[in-house]
Amino acid sequence: MWLGLFLGILGLAVGAAIGLNLPLMLPHAYAKYLSVAALAALDSVFGGIRAAMEEHFDNSIFLSGFFSNALLAAGLAFIGERLGIDLYLAAVVAFGVRLFHNLAIIRRHLLKKR
Amino acid sequence: MKKTTKFNKSTYASITLVALLTGMLMVFQFRATSSIARGIPTDRVQELTIEKKQVERDLANLVEEADDLAAKLEEAGKGRTEAAVVLESELTKVKLYAGLTQMVGPGVEVVLDNPPGATGHGSSPGLFNVRDEDLLKVINDLRGAGAEVIAVNDQRILATSEVRLAGNHININLARLSPPYKIHAIGNAGVLKSSLEIRGGLVEYLSANGIIINVQTSDSIIVPAYTGGLRFDYSKHALR
Repeated sequence: MWLGLFLGILGLAVGAAIGLNLPLMLPHAYAKYLSVAALAALDSVFGGIRAAMEEHFDNSIFLSGFFSNALLAAGLAFIGERLGIDLYLAAVVAFGVRLFHNLAIIRRHLLKKR
Repeated sequence: MKKTTKFNKSTYASITLVALLTGMLMVFQFRATSSIARGIPTDRVQELTIEKKQVERDLANLVEEADDLAAKLEEAGKGRTEAAVVLESELTKVKLYAGLTQMVGPGVEVVLDNPPGATGHGSSPGLFNVRDEDLLKVINDLRGAGAEVIAVNDQRILATSEVRLAGNHININLARLSPPYKIHAIGNAGVLKSSLEIRGGLVEYLSANGIIINVQTSDSIIVPAYTGGLRFDYSKHALR
């Protein structure tokens, strides 16, 4: 459990370092999609932490949820852009709500442990 | 609730992978957002689009105005060509004064020739040959009678023209002329002719000297233009 947390933080740091040092620059047009994907990914991570705290963490569910959420959110934003509907707002709201929900549950778990 | 928490290697791997990807995603997003010109809001795009359309409309208007002004400029240019026409007519007039144009009009043709058999031998002119003074007298007389333009053997007489004896020839405008000398003068033909043929006048005087002189009036005397160069090597226009 604590090894997982350590690995997660380490991975985050390494990922940030890679991202900062990559000469790749994302075009501004895709920034919106990426933002929604990042939000979905964050939601998945918090969902994973919550699952781990509730002790029913499933690796495959975690992984598939991470990728499918991110891709779905980005795809939704893209389609919304094409249709002239701000569908990325829906993704932002949905994932935002879930994020806060997960955070609240994690907080409660942490408080209950004491 | 199922207790499926098995922290094996694949779980750690997936956690690491997900953390890695999340970190990259967020940093990318951070970089993209911070590079959008300190965060231009999406509304601003719409605003700018509207502004662009407005500016394009302004551009179209300005192009129209430019066309209009160009047309006006062309008209003004036409005005300028009028000025050019005036200048050109002035130039023609000045050329006329300077003797740089061929002239035609009524006048007289005076032919002076040496008496037959009086040709001097060698370079010395005969005693009764036409001399430069004779030509000068005729030219002077014609001018006195109101001749406007005069030419001798197609050499236009200008203010700077010399009439100078040079051996058997007479130089006018640095051109060597030989007899017979045909003097063309445009002016009042009757006055010119009578001024020469007046009793005690030049015709009588020159004839008495043995020179053959003949004066004829004509309605269309042609006096050619001065063909030499006008030189102002020493004199300059003085500004006052």
